[in-house]
Amino acid sequence: MLEFVIAGLVLGGIYAIASAGLVITYTASGILNFAFGAMAFFIARFYYFLHTQQSWGIAPAAIVAIGLAGPLMGVFLYAVLFRHLRFTSPLIKVVATVGLLVAIPALATIIFGSGAILSAPGLAPEPVHVYQFLGVPVTLDQIIVYICVVATVVVGAVVLRYTEVGLKVRAMVDSPAMTDLSGTNPDAVSAGVWAVSVFFAGLTGVLAAPIIGLDATNFTLLIAAAFAAVVAAKLRSLPIAVGVGLLMGIATSLAQRYLPPSSQWTGEIIDAIPFIVIAVVLLYNLVRRGRVGEIERIGGALDRAITPQGESRLAGSTSSALETGSLSLVSKYAGPLVLIIAAAALPLIVQGYWVGLMAQAFAYAVIFLSWTLVTGEGGMLWLCQITFAGIGAITAAELATTHGWPVLAAVLAGGVIAMVIGLVVGLLSIRLGDLYVALVTLTFGLLVENLVFTLPRFVNSGLGLTLNRPSFATSDRAYAYLCLAAFVIVALFILNYRRSTSGLAMNAVRWSDAGARTTGVSVVQMKVTVAALGALVAGIGGGLLAVAQTSIVPNEFDTFLGVVWLAVLVTIGIRSTAAALVAGISFVMLPALAQAYLPSWTGNVPALLFGLGAISAAKYPEGVLAEQSRRFRGQLLRLADRQRAPFVVDTLSPDPAPIDNVVGGDHGAPEAAVVVGKVP
Amino acid sequence: MTSTQAEVVAEVPVLLARGITVRFGGLNALSNVDLDVAPSSIAGLVGPNGAGKTTMLAVLSGLLRPTQGRVWLRGKDVTEASAQARARSGLARTFQQPELFLGLTVREHLVLADRVHFTPRRLWRDMVDPRSLMPASSDENERVDGLLELLNLTRVAKAPVAALPLGVCRLVEVGRALASQPHVILLDEPLSGLDMKASENLLSVFQRVVKQTDRDVSLLLVEHDVAAVLALSNWIFVLDFGERIAADIPEEIRRDPAVRSAYLGDEESIHSEPVAPAGSGRDVIEP
Repeated sequence: MLEFVIAGLVLGGIYAIASAGLVITYTASGILNFAFGAMAFFIARFYYFLHTQQSWGIAPAAIVAIGLAGPLMGVFLYAVLFRHLRFTSPLIKVVATVGLLVAIPALATIIFGSGAILSAPGLAPEPVHVYQFLGVPVTLDQIIVYICVVATVVVGAVVLRYTEVGLKVRAMVDSPAMTDLSGTNPDAVSAGVWAVSVFFAGLTGVLAAPIIGLDATNFTLLIAAAFAAVVAAKLRSLPIAVGVGLLMGIATSLAQRYLPPSSQWTGEIIDAIPFIVIAVVLLYNLVRRGRVGEIERIGGALDRAITPQGESRLAGSTSSALETGSLSLVSKYAGPLVLIIAAAALPLIVQGYWVGLMAQAFAYAVIFLSWTLVTGEGGMLWLCQITFAGIGAITAAELATTHGWPVLAAVLAGGVIAMVIGLVVGLLSIRLGDLYVALVTLTFGLLVENLVFTLPRFVNSGLGLTLNRPSFATSDRAYAYLCLAAFVIVALFILNYRRSTSGLAMNAVRWSDAGARTTGVSVVQMKVTVAALGALVAGIGGGLLAVAQTSIVPNEFDTFLGVVWLAVLVTIGIRSTAAALVAGISFVMLPALAQAYLPSWTGNVPALLFGLGAISAAKYPEGVLAEQSRRFRGQLLRLADRQRAPFVVDTLSPDPAPIDNVVGGDHGAPEAAVVVGKVP
Repeated sequence: MTSTQAEVVAEVPVLLARGITVRFGGLNALSNVDLDVAPSSIAGLVGPNGAGKTTMLAVLSGLLRPTQGRVWLRGKDVTEASAQARARSGLARTFQQPELFLGLTVREHLVLADRVHFTPRRLWRDMVDPRSLMPASSDENERVDGLLELLNLTRVAKAPVAALPLGVCRLVEVGRALASQPHVILLDEPLSGLDMKASENLLSVFQRVVKQTDRDVSLLLVEHDVAAVLALSNWIFVLDFGERIAADIPEEIRRDPAVRSAYLGDEESIHSEPVAPAGSGRDVIEP
């Protein structure tokens, strides 16, 4: 038993260092770093490159990779990215780190080449020396992990709590503006925090590589386990994060020892341990009715006062649900209409193989609409829409092929099953706050992917499940139009939702939780509803995609791929239905075009671009397409308004006289808040 | 009990709290506080910084659960009810830092609150009902336009609130509260940060609102500007260190030694009789 506890402490130690790194970064910067695993992978891969491929010694390779490249990467990312995220909402921060999660492994593949490396050396010289401890063999690699855990906890806690640097860091989290005024350079402090954060990531990566190999997906899984510890720690408590991390490692090791190795459930239970921890923590919090303390508003009063309002939310333009002039109606819907007509013409223009791809593109567009609902309207980041798509696809295939349902009814039923599951996940997580939704959905996706999608019944020896198309749409072209019709129906539903009372209430919830509740709108009900609808749409989209391909291999619904999907959509526009269509077409067509016409090494470039695109959400929260169409609309409006005075807000009093002509920009006109006096 | 108090609380209080206690860890934010608000009246809740005023409002509005004590809204025990359930039963509030929906226009704030009260089913039905795109009912327009008129907000009705100055934002919050046809509105420091003109305007709105007999609405005013509260309210509650140290008509409160000592001899601010220049006593009360 002791032997297994000691072995478990190694895996647990790696979980502990990862979760400590996440908690320290969150406490010191307000950013929950979803790209932690990707960073860990990158540095570990760089260490492997130096140590194994370039034959550097352990010490120089470790110093350069972990001690130098890691912190440099942190400073660089701060300078180009995180610096601009200081005043943004938790959602945008998560999206930007999700963009990194997509971009960094793609970049690593482009730099270091693809191909998983199964056995990677750690920090101990090979052959690894084995010591005896209480009669139990312990390797030097394991001892190094133990030392790193202790060092991380002690140094992290002591520095944050007792040193001047720690004081500055904590002050910075409370108010960058006040810190600046009191003579500390907030940029230097934050850059330091990110240097330390990526250092931790690198350390985690190099320590974990001997155990899990060098594979980006495995790293994301490892970090998902660390997320469980972070959720248990309520994002902030270092001792709890480390403790839960260690316990999960021990639990994993004991499960390996005591569960029957022949049973297929053994592996599943071991994989499910992080999720079980998360589920227990969530249930505990639900029973206690505690809302967990995530930083909703970074900074103090001064920071908020100097931050332009309206730019801090990913989903948050004016709804204009009630007031829409005729000009803006035309300018608002002309673009999407032209796009849909162009998309409808595409299957007629292209031939053969490409028509089939168009059908898939439209099915993807339906799946993407689920984010238009959940993130665009609901303001929540769900990272498991691909899982709902997979659930929809599998259910549709089971019902249609095994039980003889009409295929479209089966697709719809798949959507309903996904909706029910979405409802449960939403009820468990939404009450706790937006960051938890992202954390829980990512972990849930990984759980289903590893537990359900791998069941032999669905994998079917790698052949997957088959589906027939409905009799009236067997050709690629006819089926493409069927999918496009489904897209249009869902898009119309979303447009109606946005302009309805429900959309108005959802918009209210997104901007002010307390304001909505005291107006009589239930935040949880609104959000859970929109999340369940999103799951329904994703499930239907998944079913349509499966029918488009006429077969479905469940492991295609890889959670990590789902994050790439999200990156694609965020790049193009999270709030626009037209953007979902463009995203669907881009996601299918760009890689296919690259494969057909470009050299093979460019295969990872689209993922890199989409990842970088998602990062740009920090600057253009509504996406490229929405930004362009907003500018276009702005020009139209300017042309129309040339005769009228520009808008002015110039008084604190509500007396009618001084307020001239108040017109809002898309973001609630941040500039108007500071304009005092008449604009010439 | 003085005769005046008997007059004020003769009817069933629209809002009643008994024995409210809130503990944060070892700290007693509120200890056994009683409070009642009579129909169609203005009650004031005053006290130095840290007295527990905002905590009391959070408990009354359902955003915070008390450690002990119960709250009744129009005779109904709402202690276990959520904030949104209380809002639907006729309790509205405003916030010291306005909690507005920055993506919505002024009018949309009022429309939403109006629909939550009059046609709550539209919150769900509209989702699948294309009729939601039709123009709003004339009743709704009448009510909303009337409120905009009452609050002098008609000119900014179509402006997104993110573009509005603080004084107007406070009015929008009051408008949103009124649109839900409440029986009582909790106002959390509505005058803080406003200049004198905006303060006067807001105070006159409060007086007008309470006088509108068809509304039948009461106000509970939490405010640092003691002079303004004393001038406006029918009844005053004074909190200090989480305990209720006085509850009486304004004239008695001015004479109350316990209140005076809580405000560290700030007699001037308590004695002044400023009805119109509401901002005059501002900040003098800070110990």
